[in-house]
Amino acid sequence: MIGPAIFLLLAGLGAIAWVSARARAMRLQTAARAGGRRDAVHSLPGYHGWYVALWTLIPAALFLAVWANVAPALVTDAVLRDPAAQTLPADGFSRSAILGEARAIATGAQAAAFNPASQPFVEPYREALTEYGVGGAVLALLLAFAGGAYAFTRIRADFRARTRVERLVMAVLLVASLLAIVTTLGIVISLLWQSLRFFSMVNPIDFLFGTKWSPQSAALGYGNDDAFGAVPLFWGTIFIGAIIAMIVAIPLGLMSAIYLTQYASPTVRRWMKPILEVLAGVPTVVYGYFAALTIAPALRDFAVAIGIHGASSESALAAGLVMGVMIIPFVSSMADDSIAAVPQSMRDGSLAMGATTSETISRVLIPAALPGVVGGVLLAVSRAIGETMIVVMAAGLAANLTLNPFSSVTTVTTQIVQLLTGDQEFDSAKTLAAFALGLVLFIVTLLLNIVALRVVKKYREAYE
Amino acid sequence: MMTEQQTPRTKMTARDVRVFYGSKEAIKGVSIDVDMDNVTAFIGPSGCGKSTFLRTLNRMNDTVASARVEGTITLDGEDIYSPAMDVVQLRARVGMVFQKPNPFPKSIYENIAYGPRIHGLAGSKADLDVIVEKSLRRAGLWDEVKDRLQDSGTALSGGQQQRLCIGRAIAVEPEVILMDEPCSALDPIATAKIEELIHELRGRYAIVIVTHNMQQAARVSQRTAFFHLGDLVEYGVTSDIFTNPRQERTKDYITGRYG
Repeated sequence: MIGPAIFLLLAGLGAIAWVSARARAMRLQTAARAGGRRDAVHSLPGYHGWYVALWTLIPAALFLAVWANVAPALVTDAVLRDPAAQTLPADGFSRSAILGEARAIATGAQAAAFNPASQPFVEPYREALTEYGVGGAVLALLLAFAGGAYAFTRIRADFRARTRVERLVMAVLLVASLLAIVTTLGIVISLLWQSLRFFSMVNPIDFLFGTKWSPQSAALGYGNDDAFGAVPLFWGTIFIGAIIAMIVAIPLGLMSAIYLTQYASPTVRRWMKPILEVLAGVPTVVYGYFAALTIAPALRDFAVAIGIHGASSESALAAGLVMGVMIIPFVSSMADDSIAAVPQSMRDGSLAMGATTSETISRVLIPAALPGVVGGVLLAVSRAIGETMIVVMAAGLAANLTLNPFSSVTTVTTQIVQLLTGDQEFDSAKTLAAFALGLVLFIVTLLLNIVALRVVKKYREAYE
Repeated sequence: MMTEQQTPRTKMTARDVRVFYGSKEAIKGVSIDVDMDNVTAFIGPSGCGKSTFLRTLNRMNDTVASARVEGTITLDGEDIYSPAMDVVQLRARVGMVFQKPNPFPKSIYENIAYGPRIHGLAGSKADLDVIVEKSLRRAGLWDEVKDRLQDSGTALSGGQQQRLCIGRAIAVEPEVILMDEPCSALDPIATAKIEELIHELRGRYAIVIVTHNMQQAARVSQRTAFFHLGDLVEYGVTSDIFTNPRQERTKDYITGRYG
C-alpha cells in the first residue's frame, strides 16, 4: 500500500516544486524587466522549475532505491529479535523457508500457513514491515522537502539554473550510453571467466584442434580427453554460414543491388527496396521453420533421387540456403550504398566513352565499389556465423567433418544451445564448453566486424 | 587565318533544338553548325543552357530520366536521335571531357586503354601500347607519365588528370570532342596547358568547349555562341562577338553588365 502512495506523493511534490519555483522565477523576471534590465534573469523560469523539481525528486528517489534493498534485511533482523525466534531450527534452509512463508502471509501474498511453525512470525513480520515501510516513506518525504527547500532558496536572478539542468541531462545521456558498454564488458568478463574454468579442465589445444566432438560421453564419465575437439563445429559453422549461405547471398544480393541502383525506374526502386528490407525483419525462427519443414525434406528427397549417399533430413545445404536468403538484404543494402556512393562523374565518364550500362557496371562501378561490397560481405558473414535459430532447426546435431552438403552437420551456436538447455550441473566441462564456444564465436565475429568497418571506412575516405 | 576564309567543313548541325526537363523548357529552339576547322565556344551566364545543349550533342541527356529533346541534330548528315543511331557508336564518335577531372580509379594505362578495349580497337597488347602512347602524346601527358603508367590515374594532379581524361577521349579516335568547362577546376598553369592542347588538337577534331571564362573563349576559339536563358542569342566569329557584338544582350554580357 505504501509503495504506490509514496510515488504519487513524490510526483505531486515534484509538480508543486516545479510550479512554485517557476512562478518565483517569473516574478523575479517581471521585477527585473520592470527595472529595465532585460537580461538580468540568467535562466528562463522553466529551468528554475526543473532545477527545484529535480532536487525534490532525485535525492528522495535515490533514497527509496537504496531503502528497497536494505529494508528486507532490517525487517528480518527485527523479526529475529522477537522472543519466538528462539524456537527456530538452526538449519538454514528450513529456517528461511519458515521466515519466507511468514513474510508472504504478512504481505498478503499467501492466505494461510502450510507450516504451523511460521504462524508465530506472521504478526512480528506484519509489524516490522509496517514500521520500516512507513519509516522509509517518511524519510523519503523529508528528503524531498529538504532538497526542494534547499533548491528553492537558491533561486536568484543570476542563478544559472539552465546550466545545472543541462549538465544533468548530459549526465543522464552519458549513463545511458555507458550502460550498454558496461553490460557488454560484463558479458565478456563472464564469458572469459567461465571459459578459463573450462580450459582448466580441457586443454585449449585439444579444444581448438581436436576433431572429435562428443560432450555427452564426457558427461557420462568417460573422461574429458578428446571429447571436446571443436573442429567439426567450426567447420560446420563455416560450411553453412561462410560458404553455402554466401554462395547464395553474394551473387543474389549484388545483382539485386545493381538492378536497384542502375536499372530500376524510381517507381520500381521505391517499392522493391523497402520490400527487400522487410525480409531482414522476418524473425529467424520463421526462416527456421521453412528450412526444417520445407527445404530440408525436399533436398533429402532430391538427393536420394539422384543417388547421393548419406543424405540426411537435416542438412548443411538446407540451413545454408535459407540462411543465404535471409542474408540477401544485408549484402544488397551494403552493396547498394557503396555503388550509390561511386560518384556520378565516373558513370558519366564511362558512358561518354561509348560504354554500355553493363560495361560501365562491370568495369567501373563494381571495381570502384568493391571495398564497400567486401565490407558488407564480411558483416554478412559475421551475422551468418552467429545465427542460431535456422541452424538449430535445420542443420542437425551430428558433429560430422564432411564436405557433403546433403549430410547433417552441426554448428557452434547449435551446440551452445544443446549444451545449455535442460537441467545441467553448472560446473561440468560439458556445460562450460558452451562458454568456450561462445568466446571463440565472439572473438571471430568481433574481428570480422573490425576488419569490415575498417575496409568500409577506408573506402569512404577515398571519395570524400 | 586561312581557314576562317575558306568554307568550313561542317561536322554537326543542330536545327531548332528544344530540351525539356519535365515541363520546363531549358533550350528554346537552338540552330547551330559545328565544323572541323574551328574551335567553337559556348559562353553565357550560369544556367543559360550551354552545358545542357552540349550534352545533347552526344546524347548524354539520355541518362537524365526527365529530359526530352526535340528538333534535329545531325553528325555528318545522320540524325543522331533517329532510332537507327546506336548511342554507343555515337559516343565513340563524339567524345566528352567533363568539368571535374574524372579519371577512373585505375592505372594511367588502363584509363587510356578503357575505350579501345570496350570498342575492340586493339587486336593485341602491342596495338594497345601504341594507342596508349599516341593518345598520351596527343594529350601532352606522355613525357610526364611514361615511366609510371601503372600508377593510379587518381594520383595525378588536377591538371594532369584533366589531360588524362582528354587522352582517354582521344584514344577511341573520335571525330568531335565536347569539353564542358574543362578548366574550371584547374589552376592558371594547368589551364594554360589545356588551352595549348586545344590549339594543337584543332583541325584534327571538331572541338566544342563550354566556358564561363570569356578570356578563355577569346583565346581558344574561332567561333563563339552566346547563350542566354535557353536562347542562342548570337553566334559568329569570335573576334566579331567580342569586339563588335550585334545584339544588345551579348554586348551587356561581354562588357560585364550582368552574368
